[in-house]
Parts: sequence; C-alpha cells; structure tokens
Amino acid sequence: MLEAAVKKQLRDFALDLSFRVGDGEILVLMGDNGAGKSTTLNLVAGLVCPDNGKIRINGSVVCDTESGISVPVERRQIGYVFQRPAVFPHLTVKENIAFGLVARHCAPATIGTQVSGWLDRMNIRDLAGVKASGLSGGQKQRVALARALATGPSLLMLDEPFSGLDTDSRRSVKEIVRQCVSDLKIPCIMVTHRPGDARDTGDRICRIVQGRIVWEGPTAELPER
Amino acid sequence: MKHQSERKISGIAIIWGMLLMAVLFAGCTGNSPQPAATAAPLTPAAATPAAPAAHPSAQAPVTAAPTLVPPAPVATTTPAPVYTSSEGNVVAFAAASLKGVSSQLAADYAKMYPGHSVVFNLDGTQALKTQVQNGAYADIFISASNAYTNELTKGGYFADGTVKPLATNYIIVILPAGNPASIRSPADLAKPGVKIAMEDKAVPAGTATCAVLANLAKSTYNADWNTSVFKNVVTYETSEPGVATKVQLGEVDAGFVYESTAIAAKPGTYATLTIPKKDNYLQTYTIGVLKGSQSTGAARDFENFMLSGAGQQDLKEYGFRPA
Amino acid sequence: MASSPAGTDIRRTIALACAAVLVAAVTLYLVLPILSLFLRTTPEIFLASLADPDVKSALALSLTTSVISLAIIVLAGTPFAYVHCRHRYPGKVLVDTIIDLPLVLPPAVAGLALLVLYGRAGLVGKYASMSGFPIAFTTLAVIMAQVFVASPFYLRQAKSLFDQLDPAYEQTARTLGASPARVFTTVVVPLTAGGLVSGAVMTFGRALGEFGATIMFAGNLPGVTQTMPLAVYVNLAGDFNAAIAISIILVAISFAIMVTVRLLATNEVPHA
Repeated sequence: MLEAAVKKQLRDFALDLSFRVGDGEILVLMGDNGAGKSTTLNLVAGLVCPDNGKIRINGSVVCDTESGISVPVERRQIGYVFQRPAVFPHLTVKENIAFGLVARHCAPATIGTQVSGWLDRMNIRDLAGVKASGLSGGQKQRVALARALATGPSLLMLDEPFSGLDTDSRRSVKEIVRQCVSDLKIPCIMVTHRPGDARDTGDRICRIVQGRIVWEGPTAELPER
Repeated sequence: MKHQSERKISGIAIIWGMLLMAVLFAGCTGNSPQPAATAAPLTPAAATPAAPAAHPSAQAPVTAAPTLVPPAPVATTTPAPVYTSSEGNVVAFAAASLKGVSSQLAADYAKMYPGHSVVFNLDGTQALKTQVQNGAYADIFISASNAYTNELTKGGYFADGTVKPLATNYIIVILPAGNPASIRSPADLAKPGVKIAMEDKAVPAGTATCAVLANLAKSTYNADWNTSVFKNVVTYETSEPGVATKVQLGEVDAGFVYESTAIAAKPGTYATLTIPKKDNYLQTYTIGVLKGSQSTGAARDFENFMLSGAGQQDLKEYGFRPA
Repeated sequence: MASSPAGTDIRRTIALACAAVLVAAVTLYLVLPILSLFLRTTPEIFLASLADPDVKSALALSLTTSVISLAIIVLAGTPFAYVHCRHRYPGKVLVDTIIDLPLVLPPAVAGLALLVLYGRAGLVGKYASMSGFPIAFTTLAVIMAQVFVASPFYLRQAKSLFDQLDPAYEQTARTLGASPARVFTTVVVPLTAGGLVSGAVMTFGRALGEFGATIMFAGNLPGVTQTMPLAVYVNLAGDFNAAIAISIILVAISFAIMVTVRLLATNEVPHA
C-alpha cells in the first residue's frame, strides 16, 4: 500500500497531489508532457524532496517533512523503471538483474536463484550473458523490469514503459507487468500520456494537469476524451 | 549549383596552397634574426623579507677583504656622438650576468651612435653558445667563459680579429638580507643544514665557483669541507641570475654569484661574504662580432662602444672590473 | 554557364593536389624535427648515454614523480569532479574558472607562486620548514609542481565526461539500493573509464614534460629534482649527446602516450 501527499513548487506551477495505491493495484498517472507526472515518481522515490508532504510505503514512513524524516533513496525498497530503460550497458543481462541484490549484500546463492527465476519469467534466459548495450528496446525494457523486481520491492513505479516499443513487445510487456504486480501483490504506479495504454494496464486512473489531479476513478469510468 | 560549389572549393584550395608555398619558401630562405628580448628581471614584489636593516658592509666578513661599495660615479663628459654609415639593429647574445647593466648599455649605445639600437638576448653563456652553433642569428656574442669563446673561435663563428677581452668579474657569496643562517666565513658554508644555491657546472659562473671552492679547500680548508659544501647545495641553477633570485627570496642561505650582481643590487638586498683574491677565480668576459652577422658595420660600432670609455664606465658602475 | 568536363577535371585535380600539399606540409612540419633527433645520433652513442648515471637518475626520477603526480590527480580529482558536476553550490562558477587557471598560467609564474607560498620564507612553508619538513627544493616540490600544472588536463576531461553521463544510470542504481559511493564505483567510473583513462594519459604526458615550474620551485639537483626536461636543458651545453638521448626517450614516451590515447579514444559516454 502506498500513501502519498506531496506539495512542491516547480518552475511553472505548484505541484499538489494526494493519492493512494493498494497492493496488487496499478494506478495510472495520465497527463500531457510537463504536467508533473515524472516529478511525482521522483518525489516518491526520494530523488527529489517535497516542500511539504508525507509518503508511506508498506506501512513505514519514508518521507515526512513535518518531522524531518527522509529515508535515502537506496533504502526505500522501490522498483523504478525509467522512461529510457537505463540498463547498465557495461554489464551483462545477468549482472544487470543481479545489481540490486549485490548492492544489498545478498548471499550469492540467493542472488543466483532470484536472477535465474527472473530470466525465465521475462523469457530472456538466452540473453543472460549478453552485454546490455547490445539489446533491442523491448529486450532492455524486460531487463529493466526484471532488475527492478528482483530485489523484492514494496512498490513498483514505471515511467512511460511502453514508449519506443513495437506493437508485439508492447503487448507482451503489458502482460508481464500486470502478471508481476498481481503475483507479487505490490502497489504499482504507472505514468503514461497515452489513454490506450492507460486503459489496457491500469486499474485506476488519475488525470493530472499542471500538477493537480483533475479526475480520479476506476479505468472503466474514464471519460472518452 | 554543384559546379558552383566545386569551383568554390577548388578556388579556396588553390589560394591556401599558394599561401602555404609562400610561407614554406620564406621560411626556408629567410634569415630572420632571433627574436631577442631583454629578459625581464625577476624581481618579485614582496622580495626582501622583514629583516633588521643590515648594510652589507656591516656584516663584517672574517676574511680580510675590501668592503663592497659601489664605485663613486665618476664625472665623465658625455661622449661625442658618432655618425657612421652603418645601419641596422644589433642583436647581441650576452651572458646573463649582464642583465642589470643591459638597459644602461642600450641607452648609452644609442646616445653614442644616434639612430642605432641594440637588442640583448640574455641567457647562460652555455645556452647561447648552443643556439649559435645550431644556427641562431646574432651580430655580437659576449661570453662569460674563455672556454666557450675558444670553442666558438675554433668553430669559426667569430669574424677574424674581433674577439677582445671586455671585462672581468670575481666570485662572491651573497646571503639573504639579515644573514639568517649567520654565515660569517666560508667555513660556515659547510655547516650541516645550510642551503646553498650554485650554478650548474655548464654555466661559466658554475665552473668558476667550482674552481673557487677547490682553491679554498686547497689553501685554507680541506677536502672534507669541500665535500660538505657540495652536500649543502640544494639546486644547480641554469643561469647566474637564477641563483640571485633564490637568495633574494630567502629560499637559500647562500649563493655563489659574480661580484657585479652584489654591487649592482639595491643596498640592503643582500648580505655578502667576500672571497680572498688569492683563492678567487677571475672570470674574463670577451666580446666578438659573429661571422654570420648581416650588420657587420653596426656590430663593430657596438663593439667599439663596449670597449670605449662610455661602455666600460657603464660596466664599472654595475660592478664589473676592467679586462 | 555549364563548364566543360575537361575544365571540371582540371579544377578537381588542382584541388586534390593542393589538399595533398597541405596534408604533407603539416605532417612534415610536425614530424621532421622529431625525426632529426634520431638522425643526430647513433645507436651506440644513444645506448652509451643511457648508461650515464645522471641520465638514468633523471629517467627514474621523472617516471617516479610523474606516476605519483598522476595517482594524486586521479584519486583526488575524480571524486572532486563528480561532486562538482552533480551538485550546485555557491561559487561553483568560480571553482570552474580556478580549475582552468594553471592552463593559462606560464609555468615559471606557477613555479614562482608555489615558491612564494611553500618556500621556507613563505606563508605555509615557514611552518613546514620550522617543523623540519622543508618543501621547496625537494622531490615533493617536483610532485607538487607537476600536480599543479597537469591537473587541469584531467579535471576538465573528467568534468566533461560526468556532465555528459546520463543521470538516469545513477538514479536507477540508487533506487536499486546502491549507496552513492557504490554508484560511483560500480556505475559512474566504469561507464566513463575510457575517457578518464585518455585524460589520465594526457595528464601524465604534461607532468612528465614539466620544466618551468619545476626549476623555479624545486630547483635542479641531480637525483633529487633533476627531471628529464631539466636534464635536457642542462646538458645542451655540456653533454649534447646526453641531451639528445634524453630527448629521444621523452619523444618515445610521448609517442606511446599518443597512441594509447588514440586507441582509448572512446570519449563518448553511453546514453540511456
């Protein structure tokens, strides 16, 4: 469960949002470019600090401006897939997926099993030893997703995860995301500016304009606009 | 359109090609003189460290030696200007120890030979000698070392009959104002922890210093003293003014330079320790016109000036002894 | 205004000829002086000079001090450049300018400045000297002079690389649980390594060739502060063959440096 209420003064407008996402639920943040969607994700991740706000993940407070709590990024247990997948080009697929586990000093045996599991789940076992710089867009997306989920995060965040993918890849990645989120029972926020993607993946949708939520509700009720 | 851009490219290429040819041609055949400039004397702003006002002669050196006082300016009549038909700038390669007197010499040369001028290239004689041997252009060569003068003469670089002795110079030890290490005699130079600056042995002043130290070791002190003094040397400078700078900055306790440097310095810059004449080394400066000179007339005029009363008076004012 | 085919051919030939002349002229201008160093000596004289103890000590001293200087510059400069690039802080623009200062300062001026500060009459050197650790005229002074003049070469390169590096990599690594230090060592440095190495190689070359600041601040003492460039200058008058031998060694090292830089010329930093 993610509960977030954040305020931040941006260059062109003041961001002021409050929302919550349940376990196994996918919340889609929809809006035009510059509306503040990515900033919201960065605030939750801890890459940016809010002027005012409180964020709670899985019951523990990771950010509270009133009491001065701000858990550093690396300890917030979040899986975050950026818009451009940012797979580490100097590492192989296997090393990429293992990165978070290594950073958290997991036992080698655990790392081995986790990586193996995710290679299968994402159907990229044959790419295990390939250097990440040589992957296609869709492949990078899967690696990034596997990498983010391998650490067992309490929250998954995706920023425009389907941009640059062809129709087939898009379909399969959407399927994987839905499957993983429901299997792992973690909240998931997804950012997109395409209503089609929102409808396909999201359980609930928030429309954001100029840093504020102008509409919120279940996907089925999204007005045709 | 394609023809037009092609034409443009060809045109530009042709122009650049011709320019390049012209430059290469000029470079191969031209005999442009070395850009010779008087080296700006290195007088750092906050040079003299705060020290009790110590007049050089108040630091009575133990060895009996004449106190060092700039010679009283002798009233001379301004030499009558000479008008000659020779033309051109004189490029003079001169030993670095002439740095202080060079601007005075240039001014007086122009007074004596109106319309003429001299430009000095001041550096260690060894460096200048190498430059000349490798084709550097100069009209006049003033050397601080007979050995280098002979080398150049043997190599046929001088115009016949133009090599003449110009001046002489003794070696002296200069100390930072206030004599922080209390050097009162050459014996003190061997004290452990004393820092000494000297010229490299390739520099004429360096060879002279080595000779002086050998003489002192033989006559007064011993070989151990000589060894200890060399142990105290922290730097072998590549020119004589380099040593003076290190002493002036207070970075070393003592430095070996020419008397002229000590005499010509502003009072209070250095304390000095004179070396008895019997142990000292008299460096002889020679002047000569180079065979490769393109302004031999002006060069000879300059040599005449340097050897004349006016030139010699300038040198004397700056601490040089007559040849 | 159609030009005849023959006319176009002539023009093209002339253009090509001029281009060839240009390339040949520039190449020869740069390479002939260096070649002539080799032609001025024989292998026997060269090897004999190498056996000269002064030449050997200059070689050893130069290589040792340059390596140490490089190590200092890389170990201190890489984290500095990274912190400088990733954070905004008051005076950042000033620091940027100061880093470039040694590049435009004449080396002799740099040497004099170091002497005035660290020499025993200097603000800092006074205390160092009194506590029995003089700075000027020591091998340490050689290293300090080299670090001073050569560091801009590395710092500018590192800054450029880190500025170009997409922050997405670092941010992703942080979200995966890596501390800033781990991010630096496992993500930032490997991704910029090629460019950093070529910067380091250039820096080494500059440190190796340093002359003006060294002779001013460290002096010239065989075995202690007489580096190869100093030895060349000093031997110009005395032992010309030694000067040539040392020059050839310096040329060989510089050439090796350039070839290495060329091979490592991946100045491009990957984009996400």
